[in-house]
Amino acid sequence: MTKYESLINDLAPRKFGKRGTIWTFILVVIIIIGLIAYIDQIRQGQVVTNMRDYALWGIYISNFVFFVATSFVGSATVAVLRLTNNSWRTPVVRIAEIISLASIVMAGFTIMIDMGRPDRLLNLFIYARLQSPITWDVIIIPTSIILSFLLLYFPLLPDLAILKKHHLKTKPTFSKWYGKLSLNWTGSKAQKAIQSKSIKIIAIMVIPVGILLQTIDAWLFSTTYRIGWDSTNMGAYFTSGAFVAGLGALITVVYVIRKVRGLEHYITDYHFDKLAQYLLVTCLAYVYFNINEYLIPIFNAPAEEEIHLNALVYGDYAGIFWFSQIVGLILPILILLFKKGRKPLPMLIVGIMVVLGSWWKRYIIVTPTLLHPFLPIEGVPESWHHYFPSIHEWLITVATLAMALLIITLFVRFLPVIPIQRTAEEKGLLKTDKKAES
Amino acid sequence: MSDNTKKERRKFLDKGLKLGIAAAIGGLGISKITSKLNAKTNHNSTDKMELMTVDGTLIEVDSSEVMEVQHAEDHDKKYNVREGMPNRKFVMVIDLAKCKNALKCVSACNKTHYITGENAWLKVHKMQESKDTAPYWMPRTCMHCDQPACVTVCPVDATFKRRDGLVLIDNERCIGCRFCMAACPYSIRVFNWEEPKQGEMSEITMHLGGETPSPDYAGMPSRKGTVDKCDFCPHSIKNNELPHCVTACPNGVFYFGDKYEDTVTNGEETLRLSKLLTDKAGYRLLEELGTAPSVYYLPPVDRLVDFEKGLEDYNEFQSVEKPE
Amino acid sequence: MKNRSTSRSAFLVWTTGFLFCLGLSNIYAQNDEKYRVRLRADYVKIMEGDAYLNIKATAKIEDETLPVPNLEIAVYNEVEGEEIILGNTKTNMKGESRFLLNKSDLKADSTNTFNLGISFKGNDSFKKASKSTSFKDAHIEANLISKDSINYLTATLKETVTDSLLVGEALDVQVQRLFRPLKIGEEFNFTDENGTILVPIDKGIPGLDGNLIIEVVLNDSDSYGTVKAIVNAPVGTPIVDESTFDQRKMWSARNKTPIFLLIFINLTIAVIYGLFILLISNLFRISKN
Repeated sequence: MTKYESLINDLAPRKFGKRGTIWTFILVVIIIIGLIAYIDQIRQGQVVTNMRDYALWGIYISNFVFFVATSFVGSATVAVLRLTNNSWRTPVVRIAEIISLASIVMAGFTIMIDMGRPDRLLNLFIYARLQSPITWDVIIIPTSIILSFLLLYFPLLPDLAILKKHHLKTKPTFSKWYGKLSLNWTGSKAQKAIQSKSIKIIAIMVIPVGILLQTIDAWLFSTTYRIGWDSTNMGAYFTSGAFVAGLGALITVVYVIRKVRGLEHYITDYHFDKLAQYLLVTCLAYVYFNINEYLIPIFNAPAEEEIHLNALVYGDYAGIFWFSQIVGLILPILILLFKKGRKPLPMLIVGIMVVLGSWWKRYIIVTPTLLHPFLPIEGVPESWHHYFPSIHEWLITVATLAMALLIITLFVRFLPVIPIQRTAEEKGLLKTDKKAES
Repeated sequence: MSDNTKKERRKFLDKGLKLGIAAAIGGLGISKITSKLNAKTNHNSTDKMELMTVDGTLIEVDSSEVMEVQHAEDHDKKYNVREGMPNRKFVMVIDLAKCKNALKCVSACNKTHYITGENAWLKVHKMQESKDTAPYWMPRTCMHCDQPACVTVCPVDATFKRRDGLVLIDNERCIGCRFCMAACPYSIRVFNWEEPKQGEMSEITMHLGGETPSPDYAGMPSRKGTVDKCDFCPHSIKNNELPHCVTACPNGVFYFGDKYEDTVTNGEETLRLSKLLTDKAGYRLLEELGTAPSVYYLPPVDRLVDFEKGLEDYNEFQSVEKPE
Repeated sequence: MKNRSTSRSAFLVWTTGFLFCLGLSNIYAQNDEKYRVRLRADYVKIMEGDAYLNIKATAKIEDETLPVPNLEIAVYNEVEGEEIILGNTKTNMKGESRFLLNKSDLKADSTNTFNLGISFKGNDSFKKASKSTSFKDAHIEANLISKDSINYLTATLKETVTDSLLVGEALDVQVQRLFRPLKIGEEFNFTDENGTILVPIDKGIPGLDGNLIIEVVLNDSDSYGTVKAIVNAPVGTPIVDESTFDQRKMWSARNKTPIFLLIFINLTIAVIYGLFILLISNLFRISKN
């Protein structure tokens, strides 16, 4: 077998082993349970959640914000690294594109779960009010889904053609499908030219669209008067947070796939080191924003800000607040400062910490503010003064996370997780066109 | 001869008694039957309807006593519920010096709008800015802001600001995203987290009035998964009647009127709005946010009754009375 | 013997009859559940307009005074002991009714007093009731005058038939407003020896197009009922509409989106989706190649 053929063998998608099947099965079960809980929510109304008139948004929204943030990884790795000529990105871009697409699709689903009248979904289009930040969201999310899809698809074409050939004898049906999806890719000069130009356009588009997505998401909060939300910082703060969340998710998923598929030769310590440095820089930027957001108001502390900040730093939310700051940000920074910390296994731990920290950080952004309104909370039952998600909310939220993982899993099952064509080109294994750098 | 007479007398007595008793029984019997028949015609429709009287009390009246009133159609022609009444700008003035936390306004509002959840649309807050300043009772309605944050953020135009200043909700269009609730700094909006337990009452009232459900009739009915709030009772002010909280208040706390007429009234006193606000230093809540509310407050100076009196009716955790 | 039989039969007849009557009387006896209706009839006359009776029916049900809707009320004019029916009316949902009076139909008595009455026959739930009201005809002449650049409202109160001036009566002067009228002048504006009042109209009262509708009212007088004169006084300040309903604002309806939003959003969508179309057509081009 030539080096080229063994490359294809390594990178081509494989059938699930026992682990893969069990993993998929568990995900499907979790999703079904979540679906049942959601049907119950539709039947009874959102009274099955623990949201009430004061804590009117809960983990459905913070989960939504998390998905939106994670979907930024496409922009962060594929586009930003490309524009800055970081060629080491090749082995991880496909995974990043997959995570990006899965996240933004799940963001679209998750926000619909929070609607009181999902049967009136079309009203968002028929009666859309352009003045509303939610309408901007309704515009930008489908746009991001299309763009994420194109970002995944265009570079995928050569790989699909390769897979068609690879499976021609062994799996004819798969081969046929790969062939169809590869759009008759032959690697001709003309096709390469079109593809190359298109990818350039996409790479340039995906950064402003990505930043626009994060900013509009931030404006859902900063266009209100509420303490903790009415911040001029919000857009940049959310964008910075998206870098961190996206990269954390990427590192975690990359490690798992690398382990499961035995791709240590393709995704090496070097790549982890590079990703770690990227994450470190973005974490430091995020710390800077956090200091501006939480430390500075303590300085002059208008009365209502003080109540809110005290609740976060010492009060009811202190546990979650410090968890998201320390476990989600400070500890990762400390670990990433050391070369030993940037090795694969410590990176997995860092990745998991960052993801968990990011998820709970968005909980801190959404809920406490709602429980510190301007006028006193009166005339409502005592339980309405607090919020912790109900079983329904947890089941549904975990199901959305499971669905995101399922989408990633299915993509990994059927698509090459590392771009075959590009890797081959970079390793000089292709005898033909040395020119093309797509 | 005497025997015959005796016999005849006995016969007569017999007959007479029998006749008499029969008559008496018959008479009583007829009267009983007739009264039962009367009773039946009175209550043959066991349907008793609960109706709202003008001052907010509920009475039970037989269905048979109630008749549909022919509604004058002509004044509805030019009236568009999303535009409202032309050349009017409704404002409310709340005199905090008079409020004793009687909570009659809250009951009237809850009854009129069939509010059955756990959060009333009109609430009375126990306020005290700092521990050295005076505590006072502050009723708060929707402010019907002139720069409403809630309207700005609604993605489907379900909540809207009218010409006459009212901010209303179309609960047939609302998608339940609750962004308006997040945007409102006064936290006045409530959400129907489940099917509202309004029963048949609201539907009956609508048919009696000859009107169809519209944003003018907030809460009649409420819909699951949508937002509700104080509407300044357009169904009343349309007919030149004051909103229910204004008439229900026994202490004359609420004044209501048209700012363009510069006149507000609490039912008893009718005053020039501009003079009232100047003389008594009226102010608005959270003015610094720039929402431009339509509700003015008169500071609690020269209180007529001690603040502590209001504590008797104060319930921190309940604003809607539960049905027995 | 004959006496005894007679007296016995008489006794029988009486007892029977008595018992019979008792029984029958039950049928015609009034139901104790019937409520008492309180009727009110107030005479109102609008100068150069209608005259009517404001009828109100209330009843005390379970310690609460409530309006009684749907009562059939007969209205009549008492003339020389006779009751001349003027018409019938029914109380509305609020227990009120307004019965228009035709001047030509009404007849006064020798003292120039009109005696009207209303009556309710009674029904299954309510006892019968009636109320009478008497009044003499009075009229108010009201005018707007201007003296030394101050606007005044002057009004004279006279008894119609005798054309005599009514002195010392309290008149209300008020501006028509949406819910309750706005009083101007003193608390009580008493007519002077000429039966006249002079009330200055405050400056700066707003009105539609600057027009104020001022009412001069003799309110609920024992002798004359309520008499109201209406004057159009274009001496108010015109209303300025401050509503932003027609403007393009962030809080306006969806058909009034601010221009910059319209432009920016549609431009962004056009550019992005234009590029999408380009990219998708590129996919087709690749496929065709």
